Amino acid sequence: MAESAYRVALTWRSGREATLSVELEETVLDAAEDAGLGLPFGCRTGACATCTARVLSGTVTHQRPPRALKPRHLDQGYALACIATPTSDCELEVGADVADDLVDNPWK
Amino acid sequence: MSDAEHPGDAEAHDHHDHEHDHGVEGPGYATPQAAIEESERERTAYVMGLHVGTDVNAPDFLAVVDVDPDSDTYGDIVNRLEMPNRGDELHHFGWNACSSSCHMEGLERQHLVIPGQRSSRIHVVDTAERREPEFETVIEPEEVFEHDLSAPHTVHCIPDGEILISMLGDAEGELPGGFLELNDDFEVEGRLDSPGDIEMNYDFWYQPRQNVMLSTEWAAPKTYYPGFDLEDVENGNYGQRLNFWDWERGEVEQTIDLGEEGLIPLEARFLHTPESTHGYVGAALSSNIIHFWEEADRYMAEPVIEFEDREHEGWDMPVPALPTDILISMDDRYLFGSNWLHGEVWMYDISDPSNPRKADSISIGGYFGDIQEVQGRELVAGPQMLQLSLDGERLYWTTSLYSSWDDQFFPEEAENGSVMCKADVNPRRGTLTLDEDFLVDFGELPEGPARAHEIRWPDGDCTSDVWQ
Repeated sequence: MAESAYRVALTWRSGREATLSVELEETVLDAAEDAGLGLPFGCRTGACATCTARVLSGTVTHQRPPRALKPRHLDQGYALACIATPTSDCELEVGADVADDLVDNPWK
Repeated sequence: MSDAEHPGDAEAHDHHDHEHDHGVEGPGYATPQAAIEESERERTAYVMGLHVGTDVNAPDFLAVVDVDPDSDTYGDIVNRLEMPNRGDELHHFGWNACSSSCHMEGLERQHLVIPGQRSSRIHVVDTAERREPEFETVIEPEEVFEHDLSAPHTVHCIPDGEILISMLGDAEGELPGGFLELNDDFEVEGRLDSPGDIEMNYDFWYQPRQNVMLSTEWAAPKTYYPGFDLEDVENGNYGQRLNFWDWERGEVEQTIDLGEEGLIPLEARFLHTPESTHGYVGAALSSNIIHFWEEADRYMAEPVIEFEDREHEGWDMPVPALPTDILISMDDRYLFGSNWLHGEVWMYDISDPSNPRKADSISIGGYFGDIQEVQGRELVAGPQMLQLSLDGERLYWTTSLYSSWDDQFFPEEAENGSVMCKADVNPRRGTLTLDEDFLVDFGELPEGPARAHEIRWPDGDCTSDVWQ
């Protein structure tokens, strides 16, 4: 299957690392679940951003509109693991704290 | 259900005998006062427990908490029913039946309907053995999306045995939201509204004798799910309207735009007496409590409690109180509320509903609370979801609002987990006193720290029961 799959390196801010093989049309979340990695997720439809990852290198495409992400988030390389499928080998920052980047405390 | 059906269960469901004019025995109590007189002290609490949105690799759960002070496990989580999937964001939940079905012989308050706010999955849990809850059935998200709805929130049973759930978005997590109906076999029956009757949705309450339902507005799921973005307020993406429905016809009759005084109207509470058209809504972002009432066949609304923003040293802008939950005591004498950001739980005398009068408050948790720990445990966030004993003498609360919003305003909540606290209420003197002997710590679970959200009692409570 090597020729029909991309290699996705996952890094957590805690320093944890893992590597996934993600098949064409497969989402990063599905591949991570099959590998027993336990990435955070919520709606699985691209609306909630619980599964937010950041693309550090390589490219992904969203299978349906990533409604939870605003244009500024997409510009900054954020992607939704539940609907994102790689289009090249890539490196993704994952884990629950990546989604926390999307909004700040506006009063602070 | 009668005790005889569960001879081995010391805490089997009470059958609240109430021979009233219907001549049958259904669930609940004949009147709000009957609920006060006939109920026993709560001994078990059901609490929503969450791991969603953290790196804890475990599902959310229904926590069974021992609140019986005579028990050796008082204040402990004595059981947990894990959901079948991760990622639900358990939030609010409700019963298959309450006092509104008092006339329905054979119907019992036995099944909890527990939606996943993010997953749109709806769990039905049988509590016949109240400390050993079991799954009855699970409605998968696809069945919900078929009706172009998502993001289930408030669950109320309706008088004929059916269940109504407010849905905040369409199948894509955008607007409009609507209402999903389940039948008494816990199958999706369909949709109450026509798409577009309302745009935003959140909480609802109905007062059948007045033929009215009130629904409030948070935002589209795609707007609030990721967290709170002030830009969305500026762009009008957060709610500010009260939608009053003709209850029998299921149609919106009147919409009140609260404007800037009513930004993000969340919890909706009618007085319990079925005669009343009065009630309150907490406008969280404006930090006002809105009183509503009917006058000459039209509903009116005005702010009656206004919480001032507070300056936080070194911060850019004054911080709103954010009253995220309110509830009315079963005797309709007091309105309780929680100011999640400031860190305050309060009670107001509402014996004159248009002119609430502050009775007491406790400054605890949050950014400004005087009390920042109980039993040496750091509290972090302010009081959030409230529940009051039916007799009005004990107020309990948890501290999580919503996983992504917690991370934004009280990031330590993810690491420490939530707590459940209690205050003793003197409803004759109008006082609130923190009970420092009571603390439920959701931070010490084997899988990792958990958040805690809504609380319910097995025999009905101040936010579940409606009277016909």
